[in-house]
Amino acid sequence: MNATAINPHVSAPVPQGFAARRYVRDTLLLTARSLRAIPRVPERLLDVTIQPIVFILLFLYVFGSAIHVHGISYKDYLFPGIIGQSLAFGIIGAGVATSNDMTEGVVDRFRSMPVSRLSIITGQVMGQVCEALLGMTIVVCFGLALGWHPHLTLAHALELVGLMVLAMFAFTWAGVLFGMLVRSPDAMQGIGFIVIFPLSFMAGTFVPISGMDAIPRAIAQWDPISALVASVRGLTQGTHSTGSWQLEHPQLAMALWCVLILAVCVPLALRRFNRTLAA
Amino acid sequence: MPKIPTPSTPAIEAHGLTKRFGQFTAVDQLDLCVENGTVVSLLGPNGAGKTTMVRMLATLLRPDAGSARIAGLDVVAEADRVRSVISLTGQFAALDKHLTAEENLRLMAALRGHRRSSARQIVGALIERFDIDEFRDRLVKNLSGGQRRRVDLAAGLIDRPQLLVLDEPTTGLDPRSRQVVWSTVRELVAEGVTLLLTTQYLEEADALADRVVLIDHGREVAAGTPAQLKAQVGEQRVDVVAADSDALDHLAELLGPQFETSVAREQRTVSVPAPEEAADLARVAALVRDSRVAVDEIALRRPTLDDAFLALTGHAAGEDADADAADPDHRPAEEVAA
Repeated sequence: MNATAINPHVSAPVPQGFAARRYVRDTLLLTARSLRAIPRVPERLLDVTIQPIVFILLFLYVFGSAIHVHGISYKDYLFPGIIGQSLAFGIIGAGVATSNDMTEGVVDRFRSMPVSRLSIITGQVMGQVCEALLGMTIVVCFGLALGWHPHLTLAHALELVGLMVLAMFAFTWAGVLFGMLVRSPDAMQGIGFIVIFPLSFMAGTFVPISGMDAIPRAIAQWDPISALVASVRGLTQGTHSTGSWQLEHPQLAMALWCVLILAVCVPLALRRFNRTLAA
Repeated sequence: MPKIPTPSTPAIEAHGLTKRFGQFTAVDQLDLCVENGTVVSLLGPNGAGKTTMVRMLATLLRPDAGSARIAGLDVVAEADRVRSVISLTGQFAALDKHLTAEENLRLMAALRGHRRSSARQIVGALIERFDIDEFRDRLVKNLSGGQRRRVDLAAGLIDRPQLLVLDEPTTGLDPRSRQVVWSTVRELVAEGVTLLLTTQYLEEADALADRVVLIDHGREVAAGTPAQLKAQVGEQRVDVVAADSDALDHLAELLGPQFETSVAREQRTVSVPAPEEAADLARVAALVRDSRVAVDEIALRRPTLDDAFLALTGHAAGEDADADAADPDHRPAEEVAA
């Protein structure tokens, strides 16, 4: 060991005037950190890739023959549902990743460094959104390869992409908040299974809401994931959903849901983060 | 504007720091002063409040009461500036396990505002210094505990901090890795780094610290140099262990008239105060040799911090967590052949 090798400069306080620039820089660095983990922990992509693909195969070739939806081929009915469901599964992925991060010492190190605290969370969110985008691209390509035919105008395509990205951000922030509230990644998986899983199945994903029993139908009519699925289906297949205000105006309803989720989850997550104790 | 720290500003100045978690008071009105260029150790068993104290000082926890300044900067009001003068290495390796050793160091350097070329230079020097080269490209999750700790320490020294805080740096390490950490800490201290070190190992505080603050249940039990703490417990003594109980009686008769002996029957030991250390040891040894009483051992015992903890708190340090450190048979002793 070489005793003179240590950097002789005493750390200089970071100039305060560059807070905004520092925030952007730190966010980019921390986003890059999250992205580097993707090829090294590919199983993190399972939630948003393999799982939807398994559901596609199961419902297209196993259960699908028993499901008949009036006026649309089951393939075209199914893929928008899968897209909505995999976006919703992003909540679980983000929650597990966040609760993993919170139980590791590295976040403590970031917090004890002259790093903007907001950037630690936004770095996490950006990384998760990139993961969700990657997963979504894979799922969509898989769908197209199996013969899904979305009918999109340019305007509808832009609207669809905009809505999906907005939903990714909203769901990721929700996942980040849940991830900070639960005690362990396992607990997050549990919540995902008990809450997100049924909500994503009831949302007109695989079978029409109108045929459901009264209680699940009432839940499904106001399930945010229903609005998402109805939006995607409306934009890609030109279908019209009915049953509740949000199903009649799914794009607007979904946009409002996203704004609401962000308005609630972002401040709560930040507040929680400033208080969290790592294990 | 906050005042400019001067060399005479203490590295840490804390008054009445308190932190409660619900009903549980983790840190209870603790004062702490660490002068620049010194090593202070917070010593206490598991759950004594060491980590909570460190986390308040490192701006990770907001104190419920009291105040603390790091290099003259308030840990609550000027938290952001405090973060730029301290470096915390926590109890668990604070690294991203999905990055390699070198990527971790590069990331920390970039987050501290270093451009690519300067980051490369600093990280290169740290890799050399901490012998990281052979595993620089390995993912942190695949490193051994000792290797992680080295990367962890390196990450804490990207910018030379005014105050380095090491929270239980050797907990869970094998003896060899512990030695590496100790020698690194000694080097840093020789370079003038101010260090706050928490430990539950008494010998560690004894070996590294200028001042030791003993804490238990969030309160200060005692503070001083390791020597002062030992002095509070009692002086050094020579212990003579008899071969059997007859020999013990002989020993007591032999030494009783000349010294203020105390006899521990169960241990077959006669203890003699030894203010003059080796000279007293030689005197006792000469008497025993001339009398031809059969003894197993004659040894000069210095009170250890174990003794200090036992005497000051009424229980052994870390007795729930670390039986070894509290085992009186592990006291260092200078022995002479009987």
